[in-house]
Amino acid sequence: MRSRNIVLAALILGLLSVFNLTFAQDAPEVSEKGKEVYEESCAHCHGIEGRGDGSAAENLLPQPRDFTRGLYKIRSTESGQLPTDQDLFDIITEGMPGSSMPGWETSLGTNDRWEVVAYIKTFYEGFKEQETPPRQISLEGKIPYSEESVEIGKILYTQFACFECHGNLGRGDGTSAPTLEDEWGFKSWPANLTQSWNYRGGNDIDDIYKRFIGGIAGSAMPMFEDPAFGLTIEESKRYNELDSKAEMTETEEEEYNQLDEKMGNAYEILDLMADGDATEEQKQIYDTAMKEFNVKSWHLANYVKSLSPEKRPEAAIGKNVLRSQYTINELPEMADAAWETLESSYFPLVGQIIVEPRQFNPTIDSVNVKSFYNDTEVAFLFTWDDRTHNTEVEEDEDTGTTFEDAIAIQFPVKVPKGPTAPKPYFLWGGKLPVYLWQWKASAADKITELTAKGINNAEVQEVQGNIEAKGEYTDGQYRLWVKRALKTDDKKDLQLEPAVFVPIAFSAWDGANGDVGTKRVISSWYSFVLEPVPSSRRFIYPPLVALLSFGLLVGLREFVRQRNT
Amino acid sequence: MKRISLFTICFVIFIACWVFLRFVVGGVISVPIPGSVISMYMGLVLIAILVHVSVEDSRFKEFIRPIHETLVDENRRVRRIILAVLIPLLLLGYTYTNIAQKANPPGDPRDAHPSPPLELTYKDEVIGSMQDVENPHRHYEKDDPEKFKSHVENGRRVYYQNCFYCHGDHLDGKGHFADALNPLPANFQDPGIIPNFQESFFFWRISKGGPGLPASGTPWNSAMPIWEDHLTKEEIWDVILFLSDYTGYPYRTFGEGH
Repeated sequence: MRSRNIVLAALILGLLSVFNLTFAQDAPEVSEKGKEVYEESCAHCHGIEGRGDGSAAENLLPQPRDFTRGLYKIRSTESGQLPTDQDLFDIITEGMPGSSMPGWETSLGTNDRWEVVAYIKTFYEGFKEQETPPRQISLEGKIPYSEESVEIGKILYTQFACFECHGNLGRGDGTSAPTLEDEWGFKSWPANLTQSWNYRGGNDIDDIYKRFIGGIAGSAMPMFEDPAFGLTIEESKRYNELDSKAEMTETEEEEYNQLDEKMGNAYEILDLMADGDATEEQKQIYDTAMKEFNVKSWHLANYVKSLSPEKRPEAAIGKNVLRSQYTINELPEMADAAWETLESSYFPLVGQIIVEPRQFNPTIDSVNVKSFYNDTEVAFLFTWDDRTHNTEVEEDEDTGTTFEDAIAIQFPVKVPKGPTAPKPYFLWGGKLPVYLWQWKASAADKITELTAKGINNAEVQEVQGNIEAKGEYTDGQYRLWVKRALKTDDKKDLQLEPAVFVPIAFSAWDGANGDVGTKRVISSWYSFVLEPVPSSRRFIYPPLVALLSFGLLVGLREFVRQRNT
Repeated sequence: MKRISLFTICFVIFIACWVFLRFVVGGVISVPIPGSVISMYMGLVLIAILVHVSVEDSRFKEFIRPIHETLVDENRRVRRIILAVLIPLLLLGYTYTNIAQKANPPGDPRDAHPSPPLELTYKDEVIGSMQDVENPHRHYEKDDPEKFKSHVENGRRVYYQNCFYCHGDHLDGKGHFADALNPLPANFQDPGIIPNFQESFFFWRISKGGPGLPASGTPWNSAMPIWEDHLTKEEIWDVILFLSDYTGYPYRTFGEGH
């Protein structure tokens, strides 16, 4: 009976996979249906003729793909190759996280998506001229994720000079980050590798590996070139070690030259292979070197994977709400290890697209916040990623506008009492005013108190309270520490007391992204609370209840026994 | 085989009822049921069980026999000790978690049907009464389908240049800017949205946005912009056509006899 089931299951599986294969290999013939679906669902961004110039394109970055060039970012194929039909189908299905391309799985049927794949391919002649299927990236020799592999990957991250664009800690803050453009001349920011929920091609290790081997066509992300091609990881480590030595002994020099020669040979063979002139022996050397290269790429993929949480953190509502932790001691300074003991609350930020000038293409994803308070004061630690450090106020020559990085933390002046009491308008207030802490990168140790009754109606408070602040920028991340008294004498300030939920919202500016004035990223209202010291009743009542119930049980037993006798 | 005692049967029924309410009805079939409602139902179940076992004297004796045994029988010593420790411990844990529970922030009660003003306006211009104003481009649907199509297309352009950041490519309220907003942007694919409102209502909500919401039914935390600042009257009417054209839901209308 059981064996029959197994046979049956195998049969079904076999059928399924055959079905899958024939289904997945090729898009159907181009049809009117594909055109119809494309024009209904895709053309408003990608344009009727597929040039990426639809009516919505103007305000989008990354720009919608121009299909007429045959350059596709997310492929399972080698560098320079066209994508497979399945690649196109997958992107349509899953979308591109962190861009405005959504997944279409819920709104287009499987057949429709395949029809669109067929139609999209008509925009580029190259698809028709293809004689052989595109060469796919082999995932053979995958190295499973492990601490050791991550460690090796970390070294390779430096060797491959990933940091030049992606920054030392992967926050996309490398020195060349501000200069990068895509094939079409649009600004292209390197990925912040610590935010895997924004990886355009997905955050599986396989996905990351494919981006290395195939490159991201049309963007500034190149196909990988191994700066130590032909050397093993150990050898390349040794090579760099020797290279950085001021003086080498004779044996060391010999070793260095040997490694250098080995590398030179491999590169030479690379050229020969491209021309098809390599001998059998050279082919073998090439194969070994390629294998070594793939091994390195897997280690690197594992390292990149280690840089980010798997998912976007949940926003600071419900159980994630920002709770300021009570301490009986002095509040911790910025560098204090006490901050590490708190979980941060995550506040997603989006472009301000309500009041002109608007920000349609934000570069700041979110701000993370932690807080402590004691009997008299409250301290906050705000952290947010920004790829560039714009302190020196840069001026726009034509308009005289200045750009610099900044953040503003917004509270109501008066905390609304009860859930139905109105809050001030979330965009810097309206009829009801808001109280703001504004911080600018050019004055890193200063908070300015503002009162605002609208996004264009903010005033610096005449009386500036005593707010301590310290800001710093390292490796693509701002950290801002702020400390203030719970109560102040100023009626225009927010007054704080434990156990009261206080609305909080944020505005942030990335100078390098042209943020200034209303052009900024924002959040709507969230809330935070000075978490009351847990009631000491929790140590009294529960044991009492336990004792009482035990007593009752014993009493019941006695009662029953008495009755029996 | 040993007969299963009446007590065990009742106990299993009781637990099964709870599991059914909590996970099957309030999970598989529908959304979770509030705890207080579950307690009410469980109270009824308990009463039903007690009525059942106390109908006859013999049945009641049978029912309490295991309890009785557990309390006094020498053979049930181990079970007795375990229960005597377990029950107080469970109660201890329960009271502790209840007392130590952290408060959640006040919710945002939200009126899904804000009452519109009597008059529909664009900026300061009065268009007509909220009840009677119709979409001036709607009649093309019958009179001039080509022209109607061009208005829908214009609406599509307006939508993807202005609205889709929050309301989404699929009009499902899941745009790439929706994450940071609370309340979430309206989902036009929800069958309860478009069919419940007249086109004039949509015109009002689009043109006046969050700040134009009425004084009653607060707090309004809507991030909806005041679109009359950015869009022409025609553009707003066209985008209204597009919403229903794309989703396939008709707006609410009042036929003759109303």
